[in-house]
Amino acid sequence: MTNPFREDLVSRSQPEPCTVVIFGATGDLTHRKLVPALYNLAVDGELPTGVKIIGFARREKSDAEFRTGLEELNRKVSRSGHDDKIWAPFAENIHYHTSEFTDADGYKRLAERLDAIDRERGGKGNRLFYIASAPEFFDDILISLKNAGLNQAAEGCWARVIVEKPFGTDLATAKHLNQVVNETFHESDTYRIDHYLGKETAQNIMVLRFANSIFEPLWNSRFISHVQITCAENLGMEGGRGGYYDKAGALRDMVQNHLLQLLSLVAMEPPTDLSADGVRDEKVKVIRSLRQWDTPEKVAANVIRAQYLAGHIDGTPVPGYREEDRVDPESMTEAYIALRLKIDTWRWSGVPFYIRMGKRLPKKTTEISVHFKDAPCVLFNALPGGVPGGNVLVIRIQPDEGISLRMVSKLPGTSLRLEPVKMDFHYATSFGKGSPEAYERLLLDCMAGDATLFARRDEVEEAWKFIDNIENAWHKSTTPPPMATFTAGSWGPKEADNLLQEDGFSWRRL
Amino acid sequence: MPTLSMDPVLGQEVPVASIDKELRKLWEADEARTNASLINLVTCSEETGSLRKNTEIIRHLTEQHACRAILVEFDRTVTEPSIHAWITAHCHLSEGKKSVCCEQIAFQFTGRVTGRFRNTVFAHLNSDLPLIFWWQGELTDVFTERLSSVIDRLVIDSAPWTDPVASFTKLREAVKASGDNLVVQDLAWTRTWQFRLSVAALFDEPVALDALGSIMSARIVHHPAHRSSALQLLAWIAVQAGWRTGLELDLAVARRNGGNQSFSFESPSGNAITVTVEADENSAPLGLLELTSPQAAVRVSREAGASHLVRESSVNGVTRSALGPADPDDDALLVGDQLSRGGKNSLYRKVVPRFLELLGS
Repeated sequence: MTNPFREDLVSRSQPEPCTVVIFGATGDLTHRKLVPALYNLAVDGELPTGVKIIGFARREKSDAEFRTGLEELNRKVSRSGHDDKIWAPFAENIHYHTSEFTDADGYKRLAERLDAIDRERGGKGNRLFYIASAPEFFDDILISLKNAGLNQAAEGCWARVIVEKPFGTDLATAKHLNQVVNETFHESDTYRIDHYLGKETAQNIMVLRFANSIFEPLWNSRFISHVQITCAENLGMEGGRGGYYDKAGALRDMVQNHLLQLLSLVAMEPPTDLSADGVRDEKVKVIRSLRQWDTPEKVAANVIRAQYLAGHIDGTPVPGYREEDRVDPESMTEAYIALRLKIDTWRWSGVPFYIRMGKRLPKKTTEISVHFKDAPCVLFNALPGGVPGGNVLVIRIQPDEGISLRMVSKLPGTSLRLEPVKMDFHYATSFGKGSPEAYERLLLDCMAGDATLFARRDEVEEAWKFIDNIENAWHKSTTPPPMATFTAGSWGPKEADNLLQEDGFSWRRL
Repeated sequence: MPTLSMDPVLGQEVPVASIDKELRKLWEADEARTNASLINLVTCSEETGSLRKNTEIIRHLTEQHACRAILVEFDRTVTEPSIHAWITAHCHLSEGKKSVCCEQIAFQFTGRVTGRFRNTVFAHLNSDLPLIFWWQGELTDVFTERLSSVIDRLVIDSAPWTDPVASFTKLREAVKASGDNLVVQDLAWTRTWQFRLSVAALFDEPVALDALGSIMSARIVHHPAHRSSALQLLAWIAVQAGWRTGLELDLAVARRNGGNQSFSFESPSGNAITVTVEADENSAPLGLLELTSPQAAVRVSREAGASHLVRESSVNGVTRSALGPADPDDDALLVGDQLSRGGKNSLYRKVVPRFLELLGS
């Protein structure tokens, strides 16, 4: 029987009551993102009544100690502030479970605890397992869940798993992890999270393209000259990041997941419907259509990797990548990458997509810019100064979410001079109210069984296949492409500029 | 010719024919970075002093909803026809800068206004943006088909209406004439939003849902000024739960006792259900909703002035409670909430006929 009071109340799938078990409960992600996200949902009244949260971790802790730690951080980071009145009943539903990730007895006790909660709640046994631990424990946790029978839901209920990134470190490990996941949970109950897809503007890409008839007819190689996706960070390896980053690198840390996901939203064909598989079918086709850079020569010609040298950010001196804390002084890990991608489909034939991502760039920003071909300017060619660059549609993902459109306009005056002007739309100033954190939306979607904004197995594997070819050329070839350098605080190496200049383009000035 | 003045609240008084020109000058003189607008928001009132009151409301609303605001006040006690107009801008700081400004045009009409009012408002709309009309007070004869046919969204508050049945009839005709394109948003209905979300959330619990079919009684407590919200909430429950009214059953449908009223329903499985709706001076606009069956009780309550609702369910001896947000008491915040939600308000359309039945009881 469905809840008749939910009908027509809100235009989204409704989450069901469940118990959320977070593995890696003492970690930063749980404290800074997951629990504050659940708290914000409670503040907004969107968290289903009767949701329980169980933190699962190795460290000995009482419920009270766990709650105190969560409360301290929630006071600092919660988007909606911290209200003791709301926190108190919310925290009553938070518990802590001490166990090693491989301890069968710990999972047995967890199962008993979940059963007790289900009995108390009245027989319904929906369970959401959030694996937010370090990646090396993913396998152990999944297998232990299966051994304890926790992967099976009772009749009429569900057991779902959210797996945090990184989902593997290459195609082989991703395939292995996928196999373990799929032996444990059904694919439809597996949610591979990429928090970029929970961001408002990322969700708006499909709306912008498919709900506005002025864009979709132009969204092809006939009218678009190229697309740029930039993810710039001004931070380096502060706070011990170097330990993780020097193993991962920009390509695997950002491009494989976040940036290829954004690319697929920009380049996908209209799905037949908005169902999770309808959307994901189209996204995976884009990744599958990427021309493979599968030799060192092709990689050298289309992919630039670089490390930053000492420089200045915001007027403050910063060290070079190899001098950073916990980074190998001989490191060959890229802290910057620029790629030229070709999508071999009818729609995108001949349209290069450029992606760049780097640490220690001048500012923090993520955006997609769609560059339209210039209009035939026979009328204006003779003008002094000619015609400035053409139309650019910019989709800003962070930090200032919004959309802008650049167009050419006549300067006021008696002479005919053309200048670019920009129309700007900012989510924050136009709609006023702030967007929910990406994790809020994604947690609700998972509770409601909506997997649209989560990556499917084939998407992940296709992305790794593309990434692996590049990694192999860098690290397994006898003639690896060189590592470029750039000064911290600049917009990347000269080689990355050349990549676009070869095609007659330049990076958009940010 | 009267001298034009500067009003500290309404801004610069301008001749009606020069409004556009004066607005341009205003922007030229201002350091605002963005003149943002998502909607045309028109407020209409016959209350003296409403322009000043509504200016304050618009100042707050524009923090969340960029718009071109047009404020209208009628004074039909003065028979001499006249129009006065003022312009100003509401600017809000972002990162220490005046970053977004929304413009406001205020009109004061006297005398017979129907045609002049409509045409004046139409002439000053921002092109291509939706037109939201906030009609304050009773629906008078100024609210004509020619006006309603161009409105996208009409905000009303049926709570203080002296003859709600007549006004709703007029409203229904307007919606029909618009080809069902006119979206009506009743603040009395908006005041039930968080109560409805809370009820839905409590019945997400499977054991509570199992008890829905055996509910035998319900109780709603409301402030005397908000009877229409209480009845709309009851109408919603009855429609969604499939309760048939006494009218359909040919039973005594309602009994009045002072500020209290009781209604009879029948559940889809044939249970008789008694609902009491009680007025209490000390209550929040909606103070309590309680649904009771032999095995379960579901209760949503709010203290007057409290910022949160208390959601409680007690099923088979197991009691749970949680807090949920409450709807604001302030009209401006209610309108802001409605604008944030958007939508076609199809649920309201579905519930109104049942509400009118209860209202007429």
